[in-house]
Amino acid sequence: MGSREEILERIRRNTQSVYEYPDLSVLKKSAVAYGDREKAFIKALEGAGGETVIAEDPSCIDSIIRKEYPEARSIVSPVELLECRTASPDDFGSPEDLDGTDVAVVRGDFGVAENGAVWITDFGRHRALLFIAEALVIILSRNSIVDNMHQAYAHDSMRHQRSFGTFISGPSKTADIEQALVFGAHGARKVTVILI
Amino acid sequence: MSTRHSLAAAGFLKDREKAGWHDKTLWMVREKRDRMSRELPEWEQLRDAACALKMYSNSHLAELLEQFEENASRNGAIVHWASDAREYRETVLNILQDHGARLFIKSKSMLAEECELTPYLEENGIETVESDLGERIVQLMHVKPSHIVLPAVHIRREEIGKLFEKEMGTEPGNSDPTYLTHAARKNLRQIFKKADAAMTGGNFAVASTGEVVVCTNEGNADIGTSLHKLQIAAFGLEKIVPDPDSLGVFTRLLARSGTGQPVTTYTTHYSRPQEGGEFHIIIVDNGRSRILAEKGHSKTLNCLRCGACMNTCPVYRRSGGYSYTYFIPGPIGINLSMLKNPEKYHDNVSACSLCMSCSNVCPAKVDLGEQIYLWRQSLDGLGKADRMKKFISDTMEIVMEHPAVFNTALKIAPVVNSLPRPIVYCRMDTWGAGRELPEFARESFNRMWKSGKVKGGTGDGNGHEGHLAGE
Amino acid sequence: MESDKNRLHRLKIGLFIPCYVNAVYPSVGVASYRLLKHLGLDVDYPVDQTCCGQPMANAGFEDAARELAEDLDDRFAEYDYVVGPSASCAVFVKDHYPALLKNKSHRCHTEEKIYDICGFIHDIVKPASLDVSFPHKVSIHNSCHGVRLLGLSSPSERNIPYYNKLRNLLSLVRDIEVTEPERPDECCGFGGMFSIEEDAVSVAMGRSKVLRHIATGAEYITGADSSCLMHQEGIIRREHLPIKTIHIVEILANGL
Repeated sequence: MGSREEILERIRRNTQSVYEYPDLSVLKKSAVAYGDREKAFIKALEGAGGETVIAEDPSCIDSIIRKEYPEARSIVSPVELLECRTASPDDFGSPEDLDGTDVAVVRGDFGVAENGAVWITDFGRHRALLFIAEALVIILSRNSIVDNMHQAYAHDSMRHQRSFGTFISGPSKTADIEQALVFGAHGARKVTVILI
Repeated sequence: MSTRHSLAAAGFLKDREKAGWHDKTLWMVREKRDRMSRELPEWEQLRDAACALKMYSNSHLAELLEQFEENASRNGAIVHWASDAREYRETVLNILQDHGARLFIKSKSMLAEECELTPYLEENGIETVESDLGERIVQLMHVKPSHIVLPAVHIRREEIGKLFEKEMGTEPGNSDPTYLTHAARKNLRQIFKKADAAMTGGNFAVASTGEVVVCTNEGNADIGTSLHKLQIAAFGLEKIVPDPDSLGVFTRLLARSGTGQPVTTYTTHYSRPQEGGEFHIIIVDNGRSRILAEKGHSKTLNCLRCGACMNTCPVYRRSGGYSYTYFIPGPIGINLSMLKNPEKYHDNVSACSLCMSCSNVCPAKVDLGEQIYLWRQSLDGLGKADRMKKFISDTMEIVMEHPAVFNTALKIAPVVNSLPRPIVYCRMDTWGAGRELPEFARESFNRMWKSGKVKGGTGDGNGHEGHLAGE
Repeated sequence: MESDKNRLHRLKIGLFIPCYVNAVYPSVGVASYRLLKHLGLDVDYPVDQTCCGQPMANAGFEDAARELAEDLDDRFAEYDYVVGPSASCAVFVKDHYPALLKNKSHRCHTEEKIYDICGFIHDIVKPASLDVSFPHKVSIHNSCHGVRLLGLSSPSERNIPYYNKLRNLLSLVRDIEVTEPERPDECCGFGGMFSIEEDAVSVAMGRSKVLRHIATGAEYITGADSSCLMHQEGIIRREHLPIKTIHIVEILANGL
């Protein structure tokens, strides 16, 4: 607990003017929206260094992954129907063992057109799967792209109880050396979103 | 007439080439931010909303923090409260010692810098490794970050190449950023795996869900925390936001303002501990609750720590983070340092030309420049006003309050123009080191007017020249 | 109903000449007077003005500015508008006098009447034309306080439509070519006493500003603040750089 009471008491004593919660409705209504959300999403993801492949039908997913990642030997995914997967994250006792995974394949809950981010809560037993693999493939429904982060945070799937969730927009990156952009700082070097 | 900032800045500027590079690098970030902001027609409304949300949350801190604690506890997190830096450090150490942790991996946290966590843990036998690339670079160089978002922005690639050659065995002479970044990835991946516990700061703490939200580009926070059963997240208490709705506003602004991206690569919501693990959350005050009572300065609590004010500040870009005496440099650093300890940090107040660019880039509308102006007014009372500056000001006051004296001064001022250069420039060396003095006019406007020399020019008084709109 | 023009011509305008204009750039004062007269306005100069107090206040000595503020407030009591060739001084009066003078018994509310001359001509007088020519290329110096406090142009930080009142005014001048530098409103590094307290940074800022103006190919740097121009002129003269400075009113009143 530490100094809980002391801190709260200081806050109460020192708080001066009190401000009301602002009305965000006008902002949300006027926030950027796209005629073609899918197109905007693809462009934003590209800007973040990720790529998009469109699957005409769910049966194409395996062949897309094989084509995109022909060298991949270990493909780990919680998606049972995926034929190309070599393991489920649940097969790994400890998350460290996932190091060396070539490709992780997960489902995205929804995408955000303004920034190419996808909300992900699908990682099986280990959240590490999303970050430790060399490449990340996200399967996303074309109908589940929202315009902006206001809509994202109002999305139904954000209301679910969760232990962990993350928006991922493209591959891991850094510009800490002379502001030169480099992909693959710690997380996935490459991110492919398969739109179905 | 110089402050510690001005002296250090003069030193920084001696290497003209490097200083120019530093300025250009940061200006590039400012330009990226500008492009991002222009893509959103609602940008200014977003800033208004962010400011209004912060004004709300910072005036409802007690109830929001209690709500957060309740929800976080319900999620299974263990919530700690730390009144000051010492209590925060001790809390972290106790948690680590309780679990027998020896190797600790952390992601970037300005709160940890503020509270000097790493040296404390090291003294207590816990090896602490920074996982953000920039932070790792400065840690290995045994220096401090020079920017809150881009900690190694002042370091050239060649210096990093040499460092990594020594520390990670990279190829001699190779300073390619991609090569070096991937070498660090490999090196840190092993440390990530070996570590016993991981820590993050927090960009936002959501009262209504009890979640801590961490935004990174590298994914270092996520790898660290997802590999270990013991996770600690610590945040300054002003990081509280009411609900996910408000995150919609802040996540749209943070990366656009800070690095010129539409969003960070990872925006991670931490809710529950890992299976069989523990998630400790530390809410830290360390002077923040006191700022609530600081009239004219409480808006600094709106700060999102995006770094945009540094990137735009013409003084920061040309003097570097180390010329400031506080661990946070730039406009927000000047203000936070004065709130921390004006006696100790007043030297930073000179580092501002009052251009007000910072106040206009700030995504949460902290009135940074206006507050620096206010701090200047308080220096005299603290006995910290520069004596020379005060002397000049007092002299000006006397002269200006007496038009006759001012007019006499104006009359004799042109004499300065014709004095031999050494006499003029040795007495006025702070102006004259890099500039010529202005030449006083032979006759002031006031004298010209009085002697009838100011005339309306052609057609004076007949008012037929000039054509007003609507005629 | 009386036309705007007639109403304007009956109003009394007090010419506000800041201290350094008085001492260093009296020609800017003369040009201001001529320009306002040329526009058919009733202008007068209340004699023995000194300083608005900004240098002391920005340096951290507001108390030293108080008496000056009282004096200036009194001096312009009888005028409908107070107009001067300095954006920075005008906005200091506008923004800080209410607080500085809150205990003064007879308030003349100069802060409500004060205008920088460019803003005044652009927003109040609104001339459709000016019979002047300036056959040169000029680079506009968008001064910080003019831009960010007075709104003479759209601040580059803000996502609002571009506008520039100085450019609009210069477009009334014949034969002129108008340009703006890269980083169009980055501070030149004057900042009052900042320029001597942080002289190294101030000079570095000034030098890069001047070089950007030169890069436009302009012969002149022009703007609404003599203080910024004075600082840049100091660098130009020291380093013998190929550009000159001129206050915008000297262009607008050229040959009048």
